[in-house]
Amino acid sequence: MRWAIVRFPGSNCDEDARFALEKAGLKAEYVWHTETSLKGFDGVFLPGGFSYGDYLRAGALAAKSPVMEEVRRFAREGRLVIGVCNGFQVLTEAGILPGALLANLNLHFTCKEVGVRVERTDLPFTRLYPRGQVLRLPIAHAEGRYYADAETLARLEGEGLVVFRYAPLRGEADYNPNGSLHDIAGITNEKGNVLGMMPHPERAVDEVLGGTDGLPLFLGLLEEVTA
Amino acid sequence: MPKYQATLLIELKEGILDPQGRAVEGVLKDLGHPVESVRVGKVLEVIFPAETLLEAEEKAKAMGKLLANPVMEVFTLEALKELP
Repeated sequence: MRWAIVRFPGSNCDEDARFALEKAGLKAEYVWHTETSLKGFDGVFLPGGFSYGDYLRAGALAAKSPVMEEVRRFAREGRLVIGVCNGFQVLTEAGILPGALLANLNLHFTCKEVGVRVERTDLPFTRLYPRGQVLRLPIAHAEGRYYADAETLARLEGEGLVVFRYAPLRGEADYNPNGSLHDIAGITNEKGNVLGMMPHPERAVDEVLGGTDGLPLFLGLLEEVTA
Repeated sequence: MPKYQATLLIELKEGILDPQGRAVEGVLKDLGHPVESVRVGKVLEVIFPAETLLEAEEKAKAMGKLLANPVMEVFTLEALKELP
């Protein structure tokens, strides 16, 4: 399975994404954001970072990049798309996933480890996790407060589109790091082939990095090919 | 072709919590200003060519629509003028 990692001006988790995909046994290649074709790829990874310096809004300008038309087509065709952190912001700005990511309530750039509960395990991304498992994953963002209007939130909950939710890691009461509505940390689309999440699974795939809770996500993608 | 300058204002929708505005509000209050609330938005000044004022207005609105995120923002064409 060949994955494209899209590089926007300002992407900085592109190498982490490649490390994680390759560690799981997948092939990964970088694709510049001005490309208009993703032919030959089976999945797309939109990495974290600060595309276009997060000017205007995080992910807003990257969402208008030429490559995004192709990502939209990919998503529509049911192929796998993952956006992490800035990549999630790009996916919402492009309208591929609903909602938006606003400035953290505490106004801080928050860089720490958080608890993330797995809400769905029937997706390629989460098939190797037991349902309800609380993962230990790093976050690093200033604009990660998931927001959607009441109608959209009801639809997300009703259709079970919330994949990851912030959860207490050590029993702490104040575990939502950014003020996301419904503690949402990651969502998918109706087809379940697009995943957007603020925490960084690609930065938790080796003990050297401080944890391995993100690795099953990537191993699950490998199973998608061999299944 | 004549040149126009459009001033586009992009603001968070009413009811969406604006922590940036809250922070500014706090400072103003601390300095003794009796402020009720502050909202922070963005102003974009765009200069572009257009044949007529009407065409310029259409172009400016199209750009506003492209640049504001309808999930959480609204945009207003605050001003539009022909440049000398």
